[in-house]
Amino acid sequence: MSDDQPPPRVRVTAPHAGSAAASARPVPHHGAEAPTSDIAGVYVRSLIRSQLRLGIVFAVGFAVATALFVLAIALVPQLDETFVVGVPLSWLLLGAGVYPLAITVGALYVRAASRNEARYRSLTEDE
Amino acid sequence: MNAAIGYIAIAAVAIASALIGFYGLRVSRTTSDFYVASRTVRPWWNASAIGGEYLSAASFLGIAGLILLTGSSALWFPIGYTAGYLMLLLFVAAPLRRSGAYTIPDFTEARLESVWARRITSTLVIVIGWFYIVPQLQGAALTVRITTGLPAWVGSLAVAVIVAVVVAAGGMRSITFVQAFQFWLKLTALAVPVCALLLLVGDVQPALPPVEAFPPSAGPGDLEVYRTVSLMVALLLGTLGLPHVLVRFYTNPDGVAARRTTVIVLVLLSVFYLFPTAFGFLGRAFAPDLAASGDADALILLLPERLIPGPLGDVLTAFVIAGAFAAFLSTSSGLVVSLAGVISQDLLGGSVRGFRIAAVLSSFVPLVVALATQSSGLAGSVGLVFAFTASTLCPVLLLGIWWRGLTARGAIAGMLTGAVLSGVAILGGAAVSSWLPALRPFLEQPAAWTVPIAVLVTVLVSRGDRRGIPRGTDRFLTRLHAPEPAGHHRREG
Repeated sequence: MSDDQPPPRVRVTAPHAGSAAASARPVPHHGAEAPTSDIAGVYVRSLIRSQLRLGIVFAVGFAVATALFVLAIALVPQLDETFVVGVPLSWLLLGAGVYPLAITVGALYVRAASRNEARYRSLTEDE
Repeated sequence: MNAAIGYIAIAAVAIASALIGFYGLRVSRTTSDFYVASRTVRPWWNASAIGGEYLSAASFLGIAGLILLTGSSALWFPIGYTAGYLMLLLFVAAPLRRSGAYTIPDFTEARLESVWARRITSTLVIVIGWFYIVPQLQGAALTVRITTGLPAWVGSLAVAVIVAVVVAAGGMRSITFVQAFQFWLKLTALAVPVCALLLLVGDVQPALPPVEAFPPSAGPGDLEVYRTVSLMVALLLGTLGLPHVLVRFYTNPDGVAARRTTVIVLVLLSVFYLFPTAFGFLGRAFAPDLAASGDADALILLLPERLIPGPLGDVLTAFVIAGAFAAFLSTSSGLVVSLAGVISQDLLGGSVRGFRIAAVLSSFVPLVVALATQSSGLAGSVGLVFAFTASTLCPVLLLGIWWRGLTARGAIAGMLTGAVLSGVAILGGAAVSSWLPALRPFLEQPAAWTVPIAVLVTVLVSRGDRRGIPRGTDRFLTRLHAPEPAGHHRREG
């Protein structure tokens, strides 16, 4: 595979309704041949399970962290009485505080998900 | 309000959109060009394009209006609109890119090997798209009425006509560059006025002292738990099923790039939403009378000239009007492109002529609805569309990606259950809660119970239909989740 050659521009067309065969595989895809053996199937299933677990852990983590953050804002009345540029601190925190959390969770997830895929890749390529 | 500013700003955006549409005529002539997408678009461009299409009237005008009207509970809307992309990242982005499906109906048909599952998904996508366009047209009506003094229907009609003409002429809207530009236009159109107002507002006396403008009774401490949780369920899960979002993921070269793009979308949306939030805060301090007059959604349009009378205020006003119109046009045309694609493929044979007819149809049905109904707050109406999407398309998408036991019958049963429950709650909620007030929050924010029921029905019916598991399930799931081989592409980043 040459690194200098740009991949050819692929024209993407939506499949026509009714042709199930066409819509099942609208684009040739190199990465995902069907499992050729039982062991390959086992690897894929364990990849799916670990990716799902990862997604749920991060989603629950985000929900719990957000809930705790909001609870903290609600339970500290001083935040309502502290004004920064004329706006209570509690409003500013809720208005801007959850976004950094979402970005952090997202960035960490991308690393973890790629690690799962690298593990799968090394298992399947060892064969 | 100086009507000339309104005319100039609206005309400039309309002409720019039309020019882009006609330029698109020269670029795209064949059927496939209408759906064309280069799969080597860089993540930053792609993320800007997703933001450009996603930020609608609800984000641009609705959030500030709702903060003015209801206080800090409105801050949950931008949080939900942003965190929806986190859910997209965690559960959908990479597998959906790898599926090769171009629309949600394509995905359900390929996954479930059922034409009926496809038809029902298509119908839902069309209904969702139409009801998502309605608030855009209502936002346009409000903007035209406030800024030019013309009757409100002129605004809805103008946006519907421009969108129909541009999409039918070019299909240009699917070009990433244009949507990416829209994002930065919308961001600038809010960021510049906010910064100018914050710098210059020092010598203006607030209409209300801070303690009255931000009372603790409307603050974060006074949380309605059920409503907030239900709204979050709707916004977080509804984002997964929006018809115009999926198409954008297709322009990523692979699943890993799809994830990276989504993280950048999170960053861009987080930055954007700080500005409508700031507008809302300014509004509470300086223009509390707008909340009483029922024109809260016009806060962003009216605030600049109120606080800074004179030419500078006029320029800033022109900025926000242009940004608002860009928001109506870009979201509506993104939706019309997706809807026209679905309608023309499923009903009109997928020809160029069919696409054009479908584009006109997709713009005019929402126009009729927009003219016949009264806007009850832009952010709220879009929130209900998210609740409907979360109850119908989201369970099928999530279970289709992650659960091998899903069958076509289960998917259809779940989609219909979710559609009926959330549809009845949204449309009939007002009537029911007038004689059963205790049910009001559950009908006004239905997602927290309609989504679990839809998921449950999908799972139970699929369980009872084990022989209905499509034969290609393992193959398809492998394709969704197996990473591309290392080094299959090196040309990105």
